[in-house]
Amino acid sequence: MRVVIIGSGSMGTTHAAGWHSLATDGVTLVGIVSANRASAEVLTQHYGGKVFETLAEVLPLVDVVDICVPTDLHLQFTLQAAAAKKHIFCEKPIARTLADAQQMIEACNAAQVRLFIGQVVRFFPQYQSVQRALTQGKIGELAVLRLTRVSYRPQKEAGSWFMDFSRSGGPLLDMLVHDYDYARWLGGDVARVYTRVSPPDAGGISDYAQVLMRFRSGAIAHLEGGWCYPPGMFRTKIEAAGTGGLIEWDSDSTAPITSYIKTQPGAVADVGLPLSPLTIDPYAAIIQHFYEAVVNDLPFAVTPEDALAALQIGLAAIESAQSGKPVTLPK
Amino acid sequence: MRIGMMSFAHLHAEAYIGNLRAIHDVEMIGIADDNTERGQHFANQFGAPFFSDYDSLLAEKPDGVVICCENNRHREQVEMALAAGVKHILCEKPLATTLEDAQAIVQQVDAAHATLMTAFPMRFSPPIREAYATIRAGKLGNIIGCNATNQGENPGYHRDWFVDKRLSGGGAVMDHTVHVVDLMRWIFDSEIAEIYAEADSADHPLFAAPGLHIDTAGILMITFTNGTFVGLDCSWSRPNYYPTWGNVRIDFVGERGLIVVDSFAQHHITFSQPNRRPLWDYWGSDTNQALIDEFAASIRENRQPMITGRDGLKAVEAVLAAYQSAETHDTVKLA
Repeated sequence: MRVVIIGSGSMGTTHAAGWHSLATDGVTLVGIVSANRASAEVLTQHYGGKVFETLAEVLPLVDVVDICVPTDLHLQFTLQAAAAKKHIFCEKPIARTLADAQQMIEACNAAQVRLFIGQVVRFFPQYQSVQRALTQGKIGELAVLRLTRVSYRPQKEAGSWFMDFSRSGGPLLDMLVHDYDYARWLGGDVARVYTRVSPPDAGGISDYAQVLMRFRSGAIAHLEGGWCYPPGMFRTKIEAAGTGGLIEWDSDSTAPITSYIKTQPGAVADVGLPLSPLTIDPYAAIIQHFYEAVVNDLPFAVTPEDALAALQIGLAAIESAQSGKPVTLPK
Repeated sequence: MRIGMMSFAHLHAEAYIGNLRAIHDVEMIGIADDNTERGQHFANQFGAPFFSDYDSLLAEKPDGVVICCENNRHREQVEMALAAGVKHILCEKPLATTLEDAQAIVQQVDAAHATLMTAFPMRFSPPIREAYATIRAGKLGNIIGCNATNQGENPGYHRDWFVDKRLSGGGAVMDHTVHVVDLMRWIFDSEIAEIYAEADSADHPLFAAPGLHIDTAGILMITFTNGTFVGLDCSWSRPNYYPTWGNVRIDFVGERGLIVVDSFAQHHITFSQPNRRPLWDYWGSDTNQALIDEFAASIRENRQPMITGRDGLKAVEAVLAAYQSAETHDTVKLA
């Protein structure tokens, strides 16, 4: 399998390492398409391949296009790759608008290429383990779900697309799309959402958001997301209360290693940074899953329709944040 | 000062009696309960005089009374105490199950020039007080929002009336909304502007137990007039085999960072019997004692207690708005 990555930002970097982990399985990273030549060259030096100016020039050389560009650009590269009959791995969220997402799915169906959206939280072992416990009936039926995903502002240059609400959707979409998808995985379809957010900045970004949800099943949920923590902090939590039990997990109290290291002799320790190291990194696991599903023609664990449904919840949450009223999702 | 206890329906009475006795100038004159079996049981357990009707306790002319009856009878007992000339009343939360009752309680206490304290012990929690001080000093900047839980086990395991809507006025939302609402009003010095709630209905409780027809789960979004929003999970979502009764946890998210409060984190974990769940044994400060201390101090100093009947009334307003929102699936504005 020959792969090209479009984009050399943080996700492009993560994916390059993921593809590289499959080198012995016969995966070749042909190169990186990037407007930022310097950062792309760092990746090709490390993981092989060349830097390309445009997708068009590299398309004849690859089987798979891995799209790691700003959310609002997913559509144009997906259409280009599908037209060339290439399979597609595209970062989450699937798109910034419903129309874009639908057009991506239709184009890939028409071209008979596989489209996979990187809803990576489904590949985190703690999230999988909770889902498995629920499926196995260990806590009865899901009743109240609580999810948290709060971090700090992406440390990007001024004018970054992340900080433009019309492009990224801010944490309400970019962060919480993981949890919309995960909530659906656990609780099924969502009937209604209600959102509160912090006052938006000049780019329209609200740093902090909470979303209440009602599932069609009757279960309820609370989601918390944001970029409002001091730099270096990132907390995630899952709490699933069922009719016959309870599951609690949080990143603070289960970190197996926390380092408190003096930055210089005699200084106080830096903030303890908790880590959760794994033999197989979830970002590598999701790429391996894509690879195996494409090579063996197996179904994906998370479908483009799942990603579309997560986007739909996110757009409803945004609508609620703007109107101050609950929003009912279409059946 | 002489203080009497009216009813042992609420579990907290079992703590308050010891708290009263721990105060040097308080004479705990006895327990009155019209549920003779219950009253007699606790009078025996605590070695206290028992009065089988409230009039005979009130005839002792106590300086103050502590009311721990079923929620729907608070008004009746406050009226009884006021009619007997009692000038200081501590009433268990929620103050009432209807707005009408809560308003009547506050008005009649004022008219009688008496004082009324609503039992919100979390205001005396040292971790909460620490957060209060930090926030009031402006160290966190403006508070954007809070993520709060006051989750617990179903109190019906301990007292039937908690899950009898006629007596309790409601389930999880009634039981567990008022504490955090009161804390937020106090910390922000701001009133509630609007509430939205997703809760289960009494007909279809999410955490159903046999014969149970009451709400058991709720998540509220409370927006204050200062713009702060508070997500509050008030569900009875802790199983009765959880290592403790429940929690009061609040993440305060502000302009300058985050304060994480877990009010009952001061515990050790005890594994004492094979095949039994481990228990969290709390060793933090006794908030009930501090609550009762403040009640006694307000009598001693003949002043308003730091938590008033109006605070109780505002919390009841929030609960009723949450129920209305959960039923209508729309936001409810508060006056």
